[in-house]
Amino acid sequence: MLWTAMPSQAWDGRRFTAAAQARGPQAEAGALALQSWLERAARQDEKARVHSINVFFNRRIVFQEDQGVWGVEDYWASPLELLARGRGDCEDYAIAKYFSLLATGVQLTKLRLVYVQARLGGATGPLQAHLVLAYYDTPVGDPLILDNLVTELRPAARRSDLTPVFSFNSEGLWQGVGVKSTGDPIARLSRWRDVLSKARAEGFQ
Amino acid sequence: MSLILQIWLLLLGSLLLAFGGSVTVSVSAAHDSLQTQLRMKNSDNATSLAQVLSQQEGDPGRMNLVMTAQFDTGYYKEIRFTGPGGEALFLRQGWQRPLHAPAWFVSLVPMVSEPGVAQVADRWQPLGTVQVISHSAFVQDDLWQGALKAAAALAAVMSLSVLMAIGVVGRMKRPLDQAVAQAKALVNGEFVTIPAPKVPELARLTHAMNTMVTRLRLIFDAQTQQVESLRLQANCDALTGLSNRRHFLGQLAASLQREDGPLDGGLVLLRVVDLAEVNRQIGYAAADRLITTISQALQTYTERASGCSLGRLNGSDFALYLPVGGVALETGSALVQALRVLLPAFGPHVTVAVGATEVRRSRTLTQTMGAADAALARAESHGPFSVELDAEPTDSPVLRGQDAWRQSIASALVTGRTRLVSFPLIDSSRQLVHLECPLRLRLDPEGPFEAAARWLPLAVRSRLTPMVDERAVSLALAAMAGDDMPRCVNLCAASLGDPNFAPRLRSLLEQVPREARRLSLDVPESAAIDHFEWMLELGRQLRPCGVRLGLEHAGERLSQIDHLFEAGLQYVKLDAAVVQGLAGDVGQTDFVRGVVTMLHGLSLQVYAEGVTCAADADVLWQVGLDGITGPWASTERADWVFGTG
Repeated sequence: MLWTAMPSQAWDGRRFTAAAQARGPQAEAGALALQSWLERAARQDEKARVHSINVFFNRRIVFQEDQGVWGVEDYWASPLELLARGRGDCEDYAIAKYFSLLATGVQLTKLRLVYVQARLGGATGPLQAHLVLAYYDTPVGDPLILDNLVTELRPAARRSDLTPVFSFNSEGLWQGVGVKSTGDPIARLSRWRDVLSKARAEGFQ
Repeated sequence: MSLILQIWLLLLGSLLLAFGGSVTVSVSAAHDSLQTQLRMKNSDNATSLAQVLSQQEGDPGRMNLVMTAQFDTGYYKEIRFTGPGGEALFLRQGWQRPLHAPAWFVSLVPMVSEPGVAQVADRWQPLGTVQVISHSAFVQDDLWQGALKAAAALAAVMSLSVLMAIGVVGRMKRPLDQAVAQAKALVNGEFVTIPAPKVPELARLTHAMNTMVTRLRLIFDAQTQQVESLRLQANCDALTGLSNRRHFLGQLAASLQREDGPLDGGLVLLRVVDLAEVNRQIGYAAADRLITTISQALQTYTERASGCSLGRLNGSDFALYLPVGGVALETGSALVQALRVLLPAFGPHVTVAVGATEVRRSRTLTQTMGAADAALARAESHGPFSVELDAEPTDSPVLRGQDAWRQSIASALVTGRTRLVSFPLIDSSRQLVHLECPLRLRLDPEGPFEAAARWLPLAVRSRLTPMVDERAVSLALAAMAGDDMPRCVNLCAASLGDPNFAPRLRSLLEQVPREARRLSLDVPESAAIDHFEWMLELGRQLRPCGVRLGLEHAGERLSQIDHLFEAGLQYVKLDAAVVQGLAGDVGQTDFVRGVVTMLHGLSLQVYAEGVTCAADADVLWQVGLDGITGPWASTERADWVFGTG
């Protein structure tokens, strides 16, 4: 199996497949596509992988606000939920890319989800709250930004339209909680915890 | 293990389990909830702190100040900030407050403060990770306090449950105890019924036992009737219902032989003169009415005074025994006066003659009967309706006033001029059942020890019998302490009427529990018939001491004791009048056999009193008697006769 051959323990292929099957044909098709995409990416170096994953989601997923997709103000979808719908907003892109990169063996410390203020349409455009994924090749270097507005992978220095406000990842969050916490009702109270739990149930780290 | 004890163990076990379970669940739930809240607090605080730190443009001084402020104003055990390479950039640790909760509790449900972790950055530049740990000691103490409160509340609930259980088990226990008491009573030979309890299972049990008791009573009643008819057949004249000759003479002999029988008495013989001729003249039917009339006239005496006995000795002769001396002639005359009025109705030739004599212990039965016969013959020769007294000189009894008697009996008791004599009651293998121990008093300090016949009537009149009986029991107990032989003391009917008698006897017996278990107490049959409740009370008081209780001088009126099966007796002694002359008398033997069968059915031992000859004894063993006393037994085992002579 391909997935067991991948240089990472941040992945449970069987669980992922089973979860996709349970979600219906569209999810299964999406999952299959992601799997073959990742298969290709796994043979590449890390930077190419980042690029590849960025492209996959930016192409496959159509942007739509949560209200249109889920009927609620704000909803953080797990990677399979996103693939099942084929539509999502900025945090859904960022989250799916985050877990996919982790699955290909990228280290947790190199990835951060970043709340940014985005200026749309040039220097005088309106400001908008936005979420992107930052990839740090080195701990203190300039990160690459995986974004769904500007689909091209660019270093942060070339993204003057983005002002970072706060960044986070799942580092230390599972400490002392254990694997069973996927069903922990407390996790539902936090969007980030909730989506972490859901991703875990789908076979991600 | 008793049923009630099992129920108690079950109840307490369940309650303890419920208690332990509840405390565990409540503490565990509280622990999980507190733990989660602590985790959330750490996590949220870390995120908030990281957000503030991310706004400080990477200035280490400002960042340290923010963290210091957070640490100093909050409840933190530790705030740590590490750089991207894992190097510690800031560390503050608070002192660990000592715990109030005991160590075992902490190790059982440890409260761990899981660190909250968040990332810090300056614009795109990651600066490191902040880690926040809140104090957990106060949570641990809260948990301990909560556990104590929960335990206290549950303990209160449990105490209430135990109180309720006491009530419920008590309610269950009462009818159960009643059923057990009934069963015990059955074993003791008390065939009582009890009201059915409300608990259905016990109600069925009680119903079954009550039914059984009722059936036993029916069987007993049937047996009683059978025995009574046998008795009438064996002892009574078919026409008049009076005792026949053998039975009358037996009664008379027994009365004279008995230790506590009357000292003297009177015997009146009445003869219908020339009954054969009367029969011929007035016919058999009228002659039968004549005999009945005479027997009715005689019966007015037995109804008037207790202890009288009456018999039809043969076709024409009647006998009346009076238990007091000096009234024989007077009684005979009164009788004749009455008949003089009644008899002319049957014809001019119908007459009677009466002979009377005083009955003395110094004379044998034969001598007494001879004297009476002689008097009767003289009366017959003197013509119709004459009365004659046998003119034998009387051996003048010591005449004293009642006070003098009372004084001499009391002084004999006080100064210890008392003695028990003993006669053996033996079983069929000649082994001792117990020693019968009548009391003798030396009324006159210089005189002989005298049997009860001499002083008992006066003791009864002076209400001294409780004292007398207590003395007899004490002497018997003392003798038993010496030689360890089972003994029997007979109680006076009058003593049982004294409400203090039974309790005093009980305290006497409780001092010597070992001897008490080997003591038997006789109560006269007459007491059981006239004052059954006295006997029940005596049984209630004394049975716990292990004393055996029985009836003496029994037989004639056994069938009149309505609740013999409730009395809880151990044995019955058949009167000498019932068992004497049994050899050769088939009817009487049948009667005694019936009595024995009936009493054995009630788990009572049956003994015979006053047996005089070996032939009677043989018949008695054959019909199943458990023991024999009297002259024959005393000669069989003369080694067990003490204190006489």
